[in-house]
Amino acid sequence: MAEAVKVVDDVTFEDLLANPYPVFKRVRDLGPVVKVEAANIMMVTRFDDIMAIERDPETFSSVNPQSLLNTVIGPNLMRKDGADHARERAAIDPSLRPGVVKRCWAEPMQAICADVISRIEHKGEAELFEDLAAPIAARALCDILGIDGVDWPTMVLWSQSLIDGSGNYSHNPEIARKAKEAARGVESAVNRMLPHHRDNPNASMLSSMLQAGQTTEQIYANIKVAIGGGLNEPRDSILTLILGLLQNPDQLARIRAEPSLWGQAFEEAVRWISPIGMYPRRLTRDVEISGTLVREGEQVGLCVGAANHDDRRFSDPEKFDVFREKKSHLAFGAGSHFCAGTWVSRALVSQIAVPMVFERLRNLRLKAPELVRVRGWVFRGPTHMPVVWDA
Amino acid sequence: MPTIRFLLAGGEELAVEALNGRSLMETALENSVPGIVAECNGSAACATCHVVLPDQIMSALGPISEHENDMLDFAEAPREAGSRLSCQIKVSDILDNVAVRIPSA
Ligand code: HEM
Ligand code: FES
Repeated sequence: MAEAVKVVDDVTFEDLLANPYPVFKRVRDLGPVVKVEAANIMMVTRFDDIMAIERDPETFSSVNPQSLLNTVIGPNLMRKDGADHARERAAIDPSLRPGVVKRCWAEPMQAICADVISRIEHKGEAELFEDLAAPIAARALCDILGIDGVDWPTMVLWSQSLIDGSGNYSHNPEIARKAKEAARGVESAVNRMLPHHRDNPNASMLSSMLQAGQTTEQIYANIKVAIGGGLNEPRDSILTLILGLLQNPDQLARIRAEPSLWGQAFEEAVRWISPIGMYPRRLTRDVEISGTLVREGEQVGLCVGAANHDDRRFSDPEKFDVFREKKSHLAFGAGSHFCAGTWVSRALVSQIAVPMVFERLRNLRLKAPELVRVRGWVFRGPTHMPVVWDA
Repeated sequence: MPTIRFLLAGGEELAVEALNGRSLMETALENSVPGIVAECNGSAACATCHVVLPDQIMSALGPISEHENDMLDFAEAPREAGSRLSCQIKVSDILDNVAVRIPSA
């Protein structure tokens, strides 16, 4: 007999935003699929269940024409499957492959990080969200997308407005208006850039989509996906990696002595505090998930943040431990929608930005541990991180 | 039904019956071959399904796509002459009794 979906109704939305991990643990231990009323979603939280779901896209589909994401940014690759998805994905991949990252993006990303750090280096003190991680992530993204002449605060605003609009389930008119404004802003930037990319084929995502013969509608929508989904995560993982290392100086010392460990440190950071905590899939038929019945048409939230703390797989999951037993995590998702920006992020965060921060800001330390704020559950990361160093 | 001989990173051999038309990666997962993680489930996006094939098979399989070629340079275990992403290879009779090595990282 299939079990019914259990319900958790004594958790508030604020509990999730403040720290979802205790909720995730409770839900994970309660059952494979649990409805959490405060989030109005059925959560799947166990590592093996999510991996199995991502290997069966015919049952667990990303297609959802009614989704807010589609309403806000137009039909896009994140909400397509099969051949439609593969075509759009193949149109952006040439700008994001690891070899292209190394050949085309490493140098400009290096220059951006050096410039951002130069602006604060002499001060001996900074708030790393505003002064470091946001400008680095936004400026790197502009280069990769092939967008000039948009300053980083505008990119941050567009990104956040698109994200908020896609999560605007209460239909707040102000959020909807801002999302629309951001969408228009992106479209006009794309319009301004297209002639240049048409005349000068290059490695950027805009050029790559043109070379693949994508329509203007497809270009608009998938550039918006990349702006909504390619800024917060590198920003947050830069901060998370710095935070984990500042809280664990012994691990930092080992990594600095052996720089080949930076890659491993980054994977642990995104496992520890996953920048994307949850994303949805829709059922195309009635199905049992590890014995719990879920009906056709219903939506489940794949809580990769929870899976990355699944103690069936990771021991002491809440600990930041670069040297833990090596196992794959789900921070970049899995299956055909596996993050397209994985390789850019690995290079930017673990090979360039964070090593440079520790190289140039000598004796870096938290100004006061209690001032650090970490927040969010669908998107999670440090939101405030004052630090000091020897200038 | 060809037999595929997976040579595991530890040195053991695991021989499995494979279905023509399936990918080598799917064959490995269906038989719980250790070392094939295949996070992206066959989309050539993650490079966690790296295998090494003998030379004569490499030439028989035909050219590697530009995307796979780029990806292979960044797999965790160093690339070798016979390196491929197992998700990009369809099982066929030419793989019968071929030794498919899982490189150790
Ligand atoms: C640490 C950094 C990052 C993390 C943790 C991350 C995480 C994720 C996750 C979990 C997904 C899967 C969503 C789903 O299946 O519904 C995803 C998809 C995606 N990401 Fe990232 N991301 C990061 C950085 C980036 C960057 C820098 C870019 C762009 C340059 C980017 C572009 C994309 C795109 C285009 C998709 C959709 C892929 C598809 O549907 O085929 N990501 N990301
Ligand atoms: S399964 Fe990801 S590259 Fe083959």
